[in-house]
Amino acid sequence: MPAVEVHQLAQCITCHAWSPDRTMVALCPNNAEVHIYKFTMEKWERVHVLFKHDQIISGIDWSLRSNKIVTASHDRNSYVWNHEGSEWVPTLVILRLNRAALCVQWSPKENKFAVGSGAKTVCICYYEPENNWWVSKLIRKRHDSSVTSVAWHPDNIFLATTSTDGKCRVFSTFIKGVDTKDSGTSSSRDLKFGEQIVQLDLSSSWSFGVKWSPSGNTLAYAGHNSTVYFVEDVRNSPSAHNVAYRNLPLRDLLFVSERMVIGVGFDCNPMVFTKDDTGLWSFAKFLEERKTAQSNSKYGSQFSEAFGKLYGQSRHGVNDGVDSLRARGIAHENTITCIIPLQKEGDKIVRRFSSSGLDGKVVIWELDYSTDITE
Amino acid sequence: MGTAAAAAMAEENIEAMILRIEHKSKKIENLLKQSKPVEALKTALEVSPTNTKDQRCKSANWIVVHRAMMAIRDVDGMFSSLDPEYYDILMKYLYRGLATGDRPTCDQCLRIHEKLTEKAGLGCILRSLADTVNTV
Repeated sequence: MPAVEVHQLAQCITCHAWSPDRTMVALCPNNAEVHIYKFTMEKWERVHVLFKHDQIISGIDWSLRSNKIVTASHDRNSYVWNHEGSEWVPTLVILRLNRAALCVQWSPKENKFAVGSGAKTVCICYYEPENNWWVSKLIRKRHDSSVTSVAWHPDNIFLATTSTDGKCRVFSTFIKGVDTKDSGTSSSRDLKFGEQIVQLDLSSSWSFGVKWSPSGNTLAYAGHNSTVYFVEDVRNSPSAHNVAYRNLPLRDLLFVSERMVIGVGFDCNPMVFTKDDTGLWSFAKFLEERKTAQSNSKYGSQFSEAFGKLYGQSRHGVNDGVDSLRARGIAHENTITCIIPLQKEGDKIVRRFSSSGLDGKVVIWELDYSTDITE
Repeated sequence: MGTAAAAAMAEENIEAMILRIEHKSKKIENLLKQSKPVEALKTALEVSPTNTKDQRCKSANWIVVHRAMMAIRDVDGMFSSLDPEYYDILMKYLYRGLATGDRPTCDQCLRIHEKLTEKAGLGCILRSLADTVNTV
């Protein structure tokens, strides 16, 4: 059973992030606060509440080495929280946005972070030690609609974004003084800040959850049309491969290895996608075995009732929503919106990861060693 | 190419499409006479004009798909010989059919919709709803 721990920590969780030692989790319980829970002596204890934002917090990221928390909120602001003594001290980052911030992520070297916003812009923020503050540089071009997710390439310079205009784009975020030109990898033309490297127009519907594979060779993102798009060799000769699946759309993805991706979304059960030896991606299975309570019900009670009305027949008289949900036997009871890796630094393969969703649960998953996810 | 020339070429492409749909229509009538409704439906669904904005083409193709669809009596049998690559485009036409409000059309569309959803899943419905670019 892949779900090793299920924790009900709130009524509804928008996003979550783990501390470097994996003992604490920071989450937003669908309001303007960040709650940090620590697992001590067999139970969860709320150790900190970070109050600063005015509106719902849409993204939290906790850096692995520098132990800083960055939060982004619908109030158009972002805060970087530093742990000083026993307190978390916020530093406001002036993003210069006129719409909500929707997602945030630390760069691999943790010297920058990217914020996607509803203002059709991406803010790249870096620390200026002389003035002791975080400066925001905006990528204003290109996006026609809200930026739903951002993902850093392992080289700390390229950033992939997805947007509700259906496209996935890769930009350079090279900042003089912060990044160093790595001679031999790319031409200087590519390295200009805000330069778009590639635009992928594969989906005709909203895109979410873009992620790079551990080596940075493959890019994957989910479309709201129940399709996952895999793009190989993005930099030189991009070749795309769409996987259309039977189920409800996904909201977030995670590369467990170069050949396996876990997707989470409206089906409340993580989906596993694998790449075979010929390089072809396909849907492998659901992570959890779903127990079918009623033999005829393929979708669960609320769908049965809706389909019954549509087709004009009365179906499966017993339609008690709650019991059927429990009988489904899967960890999450509502849409899963966020999936993050729990590997230790330096691990190339992620065996342990966590997901959070609108049901207020944080579920920790572990792939056992019989699951072949090696490169 | 100047805009006038480009427009002329687009017009020509549309005329070519309409001609192709007319040919399809004849082929479908033949297949229906030979009692091959599933072949007829496949022919109707093939090369549907989704990547144009021209409504005449789309309507012409819809008429042809509708003709083939209404001739299907055995829906389960149809699915045993219909390739999965046709599922997404068929779902789009089912919704166009349901939008007509015409009783016999809607009855047939619902009958097929039920089986298609079983076969192709909710993802198929999502794809027909979310795709506002390649419409039928």
